[in-house]
Amino acid sequence: MPVLEGKELRIVGFLCNWCSYGGADTAGVARAGQPTDLRVIRVPCTGRVDPLFIVKALLEGADGVLVSGCHPRDCHYSVGNFYARRRLEVVREFLPVIGIDPRRFAYTWVSASEGQRWQEVVQKFTAEIHDLGPAPRLEDAKPLLRLADMALTSLHPLGTGEKAALAELKEAIKQKLPELDFVIGWQEGYDAAHTVPLFMKTPEDVDKLVWGPLNVNNPAVYLPQFKGKKVGIVVKGCDSRSIAELLQEKLINREDVTIFSIPCEGVLDMARVNTELGRYTKIDSVTMDEASVTITADGTEHRFCMTECAQGKCYGCTTPGAVIADQRFGTPVEVTPAAHTPPELAMLDAMSLEERMGFWKAQMERCLRCYACRNACPMCVCRDYCISDSREPHWMSQGESARDKLFFQTIHALHLAGRCTGCGECQRACPVGIPILALRQQIARAVGKLFGGYQSGINPEAIPPLLTYAVEEPHIHERDW
Amino acid sequence: MSKIRFVASDGLPGLAASLAKGGRRVLVPVEKPAASKPSVVFAPYEPGVKMTLAKATVPPKEAVLPECETLMTFQKSRDPADLNQTTLALTAVEEGVPTVVFACRPCDARGFAALDKPFLEGLYADPYYKARREKLTVASLTCATGCETCFCHWVGGGPTSPIGSDVLITEIEGGYVLQAMTPKGEELLEASGLPDGADKFPLAEAARKAAWASLVPAPDLTAARESLKAMFEDTAFWEAETARCLSCGACTYFCPTCYCFNITDEGEPQSPCGGRRLRSWDNCMSSLYTREASGHNPRPEKYQRMRNRVSHKFWTYPENWGPYLCSGCGRCITNCPVCLDIRAIVLDAVAAAKGKV
Amino acid sequence: MRIGVFVCHCGSNIAGTVDVAEVAERARHYPDVVYADDPMYTCAEPGQAAIEQAIHDYKLDGVVVASCTPRMHEPTFRRTVERAGLNPYMFEMANIREHVSWIGKDKEANTNKAAELVLMAVEKLRRNRPLSPKSFEVTKKVLIIGGGVAGIQAALDCADGGVPVILVEREATIGGKMAKLDKTFPTVDCSACILGPKMVDVAQHPLITLYAYSEVEDISGYVGNFEVKIRKKTPYVDWSKCTGCGTCTEKCPSKKTPDAFNEFMGDTTAITIAFPQAIPKKAVINAPYCRKLTSGKCGICAKVCPTGAVDYELKDEVITETVGSIVAATGYDLVDWSVYEEYGGGRYPDVITALQYERLLNASGPTGGHVVRPSDGREPRDVVFIQCVGSRDRSIGRPYCSAFCCMYTAKQAVLTKDHIPDSQSHIFYMDIRAAGKLYDEFTRRAMEEYGTNYIRGRVSAIYPDGEGRYVVMGADTLMGEPIEIKADLVVLAVGIQASAGAEKLAEKLRISYDAYGFFMESHVKLKPVETNTAGVFLAGVCQGPKDIPASVAQGSAAAAKVLDLFARPQLHSDPAIAHVDMRRCVDCGKCIRCCPFGAIEEVNMRGVNKAQVIETVCQGCGLCVATCPQGAIQLSHSTDNQILAEVNALCRF
Repeated sequence: MPVLEGKELRIVGFLCNWCSYGGADTAGVARAGQPTDLRVIRVPCTGRVDPLFIVKALLEGADGVLVSGCHPRDCHYSVGNFYARRRLEVVREFLPVIGIDPRRFAYTWVSASEGQRWQEVVQKFTAEIHDLGPAPRLEDAKPLLRLADMALTSLHPLGTGEKAALAELKEAIKQKLPELDFVIGWQEGYDAAHTVPLFMKTPEDVDKLVWGPLNVNNPAVYLPQFKGKKVGIVVKGCDSRSIAELLQEKLINREDVTIFSIPCEGVLDMARVNTELGRYTKIDSVTMDEASVTITADGTEHRFCMTECAQGKCYGCTTPGAVIADQRFGTPVEVTPAAHTPPELAMLDAMSLEERMGFWKAQMERCLRCYACRNACPMCVCRDYCISDSREPHWMSQGESARDKLFFQTIHALHLAGRCTGCGECQRACPVGIPILALRQQIARAVGKLFGGYQSGINPEAIPPLLTYAVEEPHIHERDW
Repeated sequence: MSKIRFVASDGLPGLAASLAKGGRRVLVPVEKPAASKPSVVFAPYEPGVKMTLAKATVPPKEAVLPECETLMTFQKSRDPADLNQTTLALTAVEEGVPTVVFACRPCDARGFAALDKPFLEGLYADPYYKARREKLTVASLTCATGCETCFCHWVGGGPTSPIGSDVLITEIEGGYVLQAMTPKGEELLEASGLPDGADKFPLAEAARKAAWASLVPAPDLTAARESLKAMFEDTAFWEAETARCLSCGACTYFCPTCYCFNITDEGEPQSPCGGRRLRSWDNCMSSLYTREASGHNPRPEKYQRMRNRVSHKFWTYPENWGPYLCSGCGRCITNCPVCLDIRAIVLDAVAAAKGKV
Repeated sequence: MRIGVFVCHCGSNIAGTVDVAEVAERARHYPDVVYADDPMYTCAEPGQAAIEQAIHDYKLDGVVVASCTPRMHEPTFRRTVERAGLNPYMFEMANIREHVSWIGKDKEANTNKAAELVLMAVEKLRRNRPLSPKSFEVTKKVLIIGGGVAGIQAALDCADGGVPVILVEREATIGGKMAKLDKTFPTVDCSACILGPKMVDVAQHPLITLYAYSEVEDISGYVGNFEVKIRKKTPYVDWSKCTGCGTCTEKCPSKKTPDAFNEFMGDTTAITIAFPQAIPKKAVINAPYCRKLTSGKCGICAKVCPTGAVDYELKDEVITETVGSIVAATGYDLVDWSVYEEYGGGRYPDVITALQYERLLNASGPTGGHVVRPSDGREPRDVVFIQCVGSRDRSIGRPYCSAFCCMYTAKQAVLTKDHIPDSQSHIFYMDIRAAGKLYDEFTRRAMEEYGTNYIRGRVSAIYPDGEGRYVVMGADTLMGEPIEIKADLVVLAVGIQASAGAEKLAEKLRISYDAYGFFMESHVKLKPVETNTAGVFLAGVCQGPKDIPASVAQGSAAAAKVLDLFARPQLHSDPAIAHVDMRRCVDCGKCIRCCPFGAIEEVNMRGVNKAQVIETVCQGCGLCVATCPQGAIQLSHSTDNQILAEVNALCRF
């Protein structure tokens, strides 16, 4: 529906029935004049406001979104607004990474008696939106293509792990195997330059186990489907964080899972490896020294130095060793903690909002919605019931617009808020190389900022920050109205 | 002898440009920059577009079967005098822009041939597909070498196979030889204004031979059909083969021969924008694909879905239409997040079924 | 669907600034709308009848009314459509009065906005489903919080109506502020004489359980079945043994204990019974002043108690009660008047509050009813009363009128004259607010019969004159000149605010409160007793300043609401609650973790665990819906698709 051309902008309000909707009524009863731009959607509680409604509205053409509920401690349902506050803060931190001005979204608390305050909020917010002007459409954004700078320093020495205690590990797995249904690890794939997940059921299977920087897959993705079975798993540090997170959400039982770990010295960015290898008919050999992997294909040698060719996530990795394990092998890798911004995120940080929107538009145009990103994600627990292809609820159309595709990435990112461990499988799995991990990294950064440095997948006992609340939020600074 | 033309090494963009004249859509492989991995897609040729001759990440299937197409639009309106009287206006969308797929590979071209059978040769021809297909000319670039993940020659194709191609382009020293394989191809070459290249044809033939020579010999797949049939009930076999599958749609969406689709209505018929009936790619690896309205799902497990996919490609489609529903392009292997290898599954089935068939 | 749209003129309330005919015309083009009209008053009888008629004539299966706020008339119209045979949930409202016509002047913009709100309502309605409430059993027992006169009245009315009552009082005795008063206006009858019998009735009523010296610690559950935790604070006296004989209070050596009941106008003992008519009449030890409890040396009260009731080891006790309804009657406290430096900020002993003066006037007060100056015990001759100290004062954030000060000040002037015939009372007032039966007559008597000197104006300073008296400097705004009075005693009519801890209690009750801590009623005019939490009612000053007759009336009104609630054999739950689509549920447990009410449980369905909503416990907040990633749990009447339909109606690019 068109707004009154030139006069109005489109502002969508989500108001809780008990306080703010009543406050807006009180303002009406008091004839407290307000601009006409706002359209109110009545919801039972701000806790009902799925942050996705906000992104949906902003992507679909709202110029501003305002959420208002009961004052903290005053919620009709006791705590709905406490949960809402956390979620709304996260989504506000998320908006700029997809190029939406976060000032287009605000939330506040207005009680049923505060008609005057409501009037002030509406006047102020409407004026702010008018200052910002009409929201830019994703379709109109100027496509921008840029590559992240991958020249990085690492927080820990990167290597090939060629001296890893693989033999000991194999022996331990063989010993444990009779108690387990199987053990998940890695084996050589269609050639020696590629590995794939391995399900070890027999000692012969264990002999196929390989270790090294080619082990890119995160085997934790398989665990939830085997809940209740006795499963062993070999993990890198990042994989173990997924396990910690799955445990935290009770998606797997600790006693059912036996975790074998070897400290990880980094994994290769297979995208760059494959580019370098090009078209080849045969891998002649794969050899490793301490710092690099040498792959010989069709007689040509290609040397991949770990410090140059590791995955982006490896440079900022603070958990090369498993955060949780039953059996550990090899010597731990030393980490020197330091501030670190993942490369793709750093690239986006350097862009203007307009450029970011253009960036995602250009990236999303080639998405085919194969959902490899989703299915490779160990934290995507909905599996066969993702809302991306459901009609009930009907969040997304089957149309192929970049907007729909970006909205799916938003769904994924927001559903991962406080849960994403940054394993990067989404991005690695993407056949067309869309740097979608950056969206998750932005969420992880927001969660850290808002919830006292919280990191997902470190402590299996921690409560995921968006599944809880604090009455006083020390790290949330609500705006003053 | 068919029409032969020659173009110099730097002449391909010019050729694409000349073909694009007169409203023809010329889809050329373009490398998408700023991707975290090389991503080559087919895009309409425009001046300035950076064409590549690399094998595309995404096959040109979109030329006939878009990722999402609008089959029709519909608008409901009401007589203001009598609100009980509503009119539904339907507008069918039949797209059929003359299109050339340029510099795809023989495996991509074979994809079109594979799609033709169910869409054109069945009980009913699909009008949307037909409109596009009839106006499509395929000019394939033959491969100079084999490739680790390619297996076109296992499944009845090859690096220089003409199946599905109207024109075969072969690189030789100093340029490319273009050979018309069909009347459409002849027409295209006629219109290209390129000089005759019959004299260079032997060089092209030599290059093609060299390509074949670079291949690792193909295993015998003649037993594949019967083997898959025999292995159909062997749940343990299929579970083991698909243990690492993540049930995403990369294998099907990047396949030049997969053609399953879903039809949905979107939008509100009684609104200024109206409603749209969309046909979009679907994917048999998704649980949703076979989930029925009742909630019952005949293929709830991924092994059942993968079994269906492999069986369709190597057993039931061949049973219905003759050739395999696979052109051996290997994209399902390279694009799979876990490198699940359809070759291995078929070979394992053949091996496991030995003695059973 | 076949939807009918009714765009209300509301007289000129809406039609004045919205072209309602145009809105109805636009609605005719909305999906599924087969009828649209613009009646004058939709909520009036003809308007409702027209809706019913249209439902029959046009075979409507859904109705949108665009009029006032749904918080006002949604229940009305739901009943209307139900009468015509529709499910009451096949109805939506568009708020085009409070949210449109009353707040915007631009008719074009208002009309467009109203039309869009109607479209949103239509789009939501198209996705509505008929819902039916579930019925559930009710615990027919009421909790009344606060044993002042409002709470007492509510308790007695409920109990007389046959409903068991749990009465919780924070202090050691019920009676509240009224028990402290000497006389009451406008009849000047003895407060204790009219309240006392009611207090005794409370004590003796077989259906009333009184927990004095107790506080509500926690409340969970919902209308019909609240679970309440009550902390019985330890009095260090076993009340089952205490006979209230008072021997302990006579012997207690700690005689310098501040006397809260007497508004600190005197001292009492560490073990004490608040006043002779206290209910329950039981002794309580004021722990910080008890020698035994602070230093371990003493124990006299235990020795002298004839029944051995004193027990220094007695601990707090928390008990749990289940009730079907709750009445809050927590009363008020005085505003902290020490912020007024011009009145001495509390430093002058003879500048006291009216409530303190009430204790001086009272025969059972610290002076036995002799009006004397706290500083030297002399009888005052000139008494100055200052009104609106902490009322109607924006400068200290108390802009409201405390409602009863004008009247009690007049009463106190009258009583002063009765006590000390040669005294002279002077009253500084802003306006005399005497709107009530016999009230104005009473203030006139104070002026005319009792010679009270009413001065319209404010006091700018009070300071000691050095000779034991006080200089009260002010302005007489009627005469337009400054005025100075030498006073022996100054009585401040200190304004009131919600009683300490009211906000905390409101949070436990899940009701709203205003900036001063007064609880929010459901509707200022039409629902002054109800709150927005079903089953929780208000009585007395906790809802806002009011005098005794009004408090008693509201106590009775609250009791009527309780009796009304309990008169039904069963209660019906709101069907707008969450439901789990078992097929979509993957048992990730996020909804269970978040639900504020524990309303979601894990159940085993054919071998797999699934979440399931306990229908009578779910309150319909929808937090779970926003939490469930796969959209498996949906809130009826506020589903994702319904909200998305509203969003889409607004911003389809």
